Amino acid sequence: MTAVPSSIVRHGLRRSWHDYASMLRWHLASLRIWMALVAIVQVLSGVGLVLGIALFFRRIPASAALYVSTGVPVINLVMIGLILGPQLVANEKTAGSYDYLRAMPVSRSVNAAAWYTVCLVNGVPAMVVSLGVASLRYSLALHVTAMLVPAVLLTALSATMLGYAIAHAISNAMVTAMVAQVLVFVVFGFSPILFPITQMPRWLGTLNWWFPFRHMAVVTRAALTPGPHPGLTTSYAVLGAWSVLCAALAGRALGRRL
Amino acid sequence: MASQLGPETAPTAGRTAEYWAFQVDGVTKRFGALAANDNITLRVEPGEVYGLLGPNGAGKSTLVKQAIGLMMPTSGRIMLGSFDLVADPDAARQLCSYLPQAPMPIEAFKAREAIELAGRIRGGDRHEVRARTEDLIEALDLGEWRNALGAKLSGGVKRLVGFCMAAVRPGRLVILDEPTNDVDPLRRRLLWEQIRDLGAMGCSVLLVTHNVLEAEKSVDRLAVLFGGRIVAEGTPSSLKAADRSHLRLHIMLAPGTETPPLPVWAAAPTRVGHNLITTIAEDEAAAGIEWAKTLIDQGVAEEYALGATTLEDAYIRLTSHLSEDVDEEGPTK
Repeated sequence: MTAVPSSIVRHGLRRSWHDYASMLRWHLASLRIWMALVAIVQVLSGVGLVLGIALFFRRIPASAALYVSTGVPVINLVMIGLILGPQLVANEKTAGSYDYLRAMPVSRSVNAAAWYTVCLVNGVPAMVVSLGVASLRYSLALHVTAMLVPAVLLTALSATMLGYAIAHAISNAMVTAMVAQVLVFVVFGFSPILFPITQMPRWLGTLNWWFPFRHMAVVTRAALTPGPHPGLTTSYAVLGAWSVLCAALAGRALGRRL
Repeated sequence: MASQLGPETAPTAGRTAEYWAFQVDGVTKRFGALAANDNITLRVEPGEVYGLLGPNGAGKSTLVKQAIGLMMPTSGRIMLGSFDLVADPDAARQLCSYLPQAPMPIEAFKAREAIELAGRIRGGDRHEVRARTEDLIEALDLGEWRNALGAKLSGGVKRLVGFCMAAVRPGRLVILDEPTNDVDPLRRRLLWEQIRDLGAMGCSVLLVTHNVLEAEKSVDRLAVLFGGRIVAEGTPSSLKAADRSHLRLHIMLAPGTETPPLPVWAAAPTRVGHNLITTIAEDEAAAGIEWAKTLIDQGVAEEYALGATTLEDAYIRLTSHLSEDVDEEGPTK
């Protein structure tokens, strides 16, 4: 057949939907040889955390078990967002294929939305498994509410957009990977996700108020445990602000022309 | 052409062939004090295959990256039809297809899948894209790799798949950066046919290469870039005009030898590695052969070749560089 050169500059919702579906296929296909491995690592790390932290105690206190059980799902979502995106983009930069991806005729925001979906697809199953194992291991009666849906969506969104911004805003592949690793270190060691903020020095607790990780734990835990949950609205607002900020940063970086 | 996808911005003044010309007007791109592109002006008509030749660092890739919206010119305009590609990078990405010099990111894709998906991402209709994909696979003799993963493809086949991704739903401007790299001679010929077909469809084709010999046979017009500037532009024949009635004498010097003094009837030579290239008048052919044989007898040279001048000679004269095919292989007797 004879092709005809494309003379159309597409706009509007139908273009966005088409771009979203196409880029979702692109991202999923790009990951296909890694998908199973990523899922296994995600499940193992989540379950490993759930079971491993109990070893710190002769008999784990109920409050610690609850914190771990409701914190590990957050860790699952954060790890996917902070590691997978920056690692893949760093690989593309190193291989030289980054220019082709930047030259794709799709809108930046829709591309980011497709990537977010991929992170959800990769992160949520591991999150569910971690939660299930935690419930069995610690005999918890979790109080799962419908608010788990927005909590997970927003937690994954802010983590994914943070990773996306790091991936695209930092031009050097090595620096991208290092910053992502430092953030992972911060998440594990210095963010009140797996333990209460009251156990941190006051200044570190205050500092954490400005970062998204503590708020991810607050909204997720609120959807899994009975209330009251003071500051919940604020946490949603902070996470929303971080998501918008990081998405804007990533979009700006992707569209940056040297 | 009917839109497949929602509202569109389309030219209103009619889509005549002239309307979709690609125009670069006084483009300068500076990185600090370095001018990677220095006041470049060129025009590629629809249906034309236009070569951009030059050695590494001449500014070829910098120019195409500005056209596709990956870089911003320091000054100047880049237009495709009525679209200002600098002011509207989204339009640039939609109207231009691009095969970059770097490897395509298709390790996890099957060849056919990568081509089809590229066509869909470019806004193509599902059935049309599928049919065109099959056509390209057949035309480039890629059938045996149709369902092979990109990770298992050789560099040349991967390059051809990359070309298909750019050509499956071509833009008004198709930018091909070194499309024949790593491709075997048989499929190179098939590839050139497909590149010509893009022109026949009405695309403007901007072909970046430093393979002068291939470009000579395949482009309608070309520009030679050197040091960020266009140092010559025209048809391959017009660029060779200065070398008519001359022959090329190519001498492969022995390793470690100095450039020997040239006879007065030889033009100023270019030496790259062990290759010494000059042009001589046709009347001096016998003297040229005699001189080359003497150099071999003296151990200064190992072999020589005397033949018709090509675009390569104009290229050497303009840039003091050899094209990639001669750099490593030396002359063929």
